[in-house]
Amino acid sequence: MKIIVLIKQVLDPTGILVRRDKEKMFINREEYILGPDSKAALEAALRLKDAGGAEVVALSMGKPRAEDALREALAMGCDAACLVSDEALNQADIPMAASVLAAAVQKLGGADLIVAGRESGDTGAGQIGSRLAEALNYAQVTDVHVLTGEPGAVQATRRWGSGYATVQAMLPAVVTVAPEAFPARYAHGARIMNAYREWQVTTWNAADLGLDEAALKPLLAFRGESFPLPLPVGEQVKGAPASAAHEMITALKLQKVIG
Amino acid sequence: MDFSFPKEYQLFRRMVSDFAENEVRPLAKAVDREHRVPLETVKKAAALGLMGVPFPQKYGGMGGGEMGYCIMMEELGRVCTSTATVIGAHTGIAAMSIYLDGTEEQKQKFLVPLASGRLIGAFGLTEAQAGSDAAAIKTTAVRDGNHFVINGAKVFITNGDIAGIMTVMAVTDPSLGAYGGITAFIVETDTPGFSIGSLENKMGIRGSSTAECVFQDVRVPKENVLGQFGAGFLTFMKSLDIGRASLGAACLGGAQAALEGCMEWTMAREQFGVPVATKQSVYFMIADMAAEIEALRSMIYRTAWLIDTHQPHIKEAAICKLYGSEVASRCVHKAMQIHGALGYSRDYWVERAYRDARIAEIFEGTNEIQRVVLASNLFRPYGMRIPS
Repeated sequence: MKIIVLIKQVLDPTGILVRRDKEKMFINREEYILGPDSKAALEAALRLKDAGGAEVVALSMGKPRAEDALREALAMGCDAACLVSDEALNQADIPMAASVLAAAVQKLGGADLIVAGRESGDTGAGQIGSRLAEALNYAQVTDVHVLTGEPGAVQATRRWGSGYATVQAMLPAVVTVAPEAFPARYAHGARIMNAYREWQVTTWNAADLGLDEAALKPLLAFRGESFPLPLPVGEQVKGAPASAAHEMITALKLQKVIG
Repeated sequence: MDFSFPKEYQLFRRMVSDFAENEVRPLAKAVDREHRVPLETVKKAAALGLMGVPFPQKYGGMGGGEMGYCIMMEELGRVCTSTATVIGAHTGIAAMSIYLDGTEEQKQKFLVPLASGRLIGAFGLTEAQAGSDAAAIKTTAVRDGNHFVINGAKVFITNGDIAGIMTVMAVTDPSLGAYGGITAFIVETDTPGFSIGSLENKMGIRGSSTAECVFQDVRVPKENVLGQFGAGFLTFMKSLDIGRASLGAACLGGAQAALEGCMEWTMAREQFGVPVATKQSVYFMIADMAAEIEALRSMIYRTAWLIDTHQPHIKEAAICKLYGSEVASRCVHKAMQIHGALGYSRDYWVERAYRDARIAEIFEGTNEIQRVVLASNLFRPYGMRIPS
């Protein structure tokens, strides 16, 4: 099975200080990391590789520095890594990113399975998997918590209302995974060393993918950003811990938040 | 001059830091209380190459050099001094002595299982009457055909009771003294005649074991002579020299943890209506901690660079151990003062950090011995000999 994992490098949120009172976000430490959802996607793919053998290729679109995220993917266990980077892509919106990634997948010779995180750690749009599946005409399953392979298909257990549903998707397919369900492995130390010293990341620009000007036009324009309105203060429970906890459980049950 | 860490080391630090936070920290308090070695952590560390960080991959190591090794020791020292001690004694002195002076066959036979973490290593030097005066050892190795027969006892041996392989220093010719009369051996601990005497009940690093190891007619094949016959003292001193840098790195981690813990606490704790971090008597202590930690950090990684680039490093490594252990001790001392009665409580991390820090001024050559090493190296170019 050939698996392509979509990964994204994001700004490390632990280096950011949010000052709601000043309506400002301060970047104390500008460090970029492999996003947590991407790590989960890699883990899901590498588990399939461990279970039945697969070739796992990590694919990312981003600035040249995203190469570090791809090297981390190699360290975690990927067989190859590929970066699409071009100044023409810096303003890419999600539809454009999906068409660029679709072109990259095709240049890689297609895949049996494409795995992505449920949503990225920065914009959190949660669209890339579905859009890519549409662009490639692959089956898709989103928000997957359990993933197993079988000949010509995958079994996926996904969120379904307040429970779960297990579905089968014929290959080729795109699967997006829930990060909480696939805690990522640690990369082996020797693989970390080799990821920088021995192994290569293939880099393509827009021309390499044969993308014309029409494909490089974003549909969305960035107008600015603002803080969401503060949430209204909800019901407050006071009193001794035991009785307050009891009261809170009762309230949550009445509002059907918990069963 | 470029002071930034190469990218593979930045990624390695993130991995080790995650490992330390998720796998090591949750056990730190319990292994101290229960006085047990976290062997489950050792197994997990082995699976990630962390039992052989400095050694080349062809010997089962990770290929991280001293730089990678110091990074790991710093991150482990941040969360659990005991775990750092177990992995440090195994890697930094036991396996290191085989890496430095072993033959190719010895490296394949003994370093590969150590570096890959299949076996744990220990370093057998200290004896009851030979602490700082390491050359005063009484353990003997007598030639018998193709074997040497070892008799004697080693004390305060970290990992002694859990080791599969121990490097041991023994007298092979009492008439020749330290240089010529002492030979290093590689001993497999399942050899008949090897046994564990008592285990130390220690003040700190209680999640590591410190054992008395008894050798009674332990027959070791002559192929297990480590380094040149009669040059065991040099083999062991070389290993200790390198080990001092990484020991300092573990102290750096401990000191850093104390600083971070104090900052968190002083920003949250209010007295006289304000966070205590705003009190000069408190923030001066924190500023002093930070200054010493930064100086130590530069010292540690510069020394690691000297070692990795095969430059002279004996003086610098001694400073890492000497300064590192004293910085760590001063930081935990301040941390306890800053935390007040809470810091003195068995329920809080400060008390364990305080007990754990103390050993670094003592083991792997007391700080007094480090000063001897340092002074000897300072005066030697002028023809002045500093007696031990």
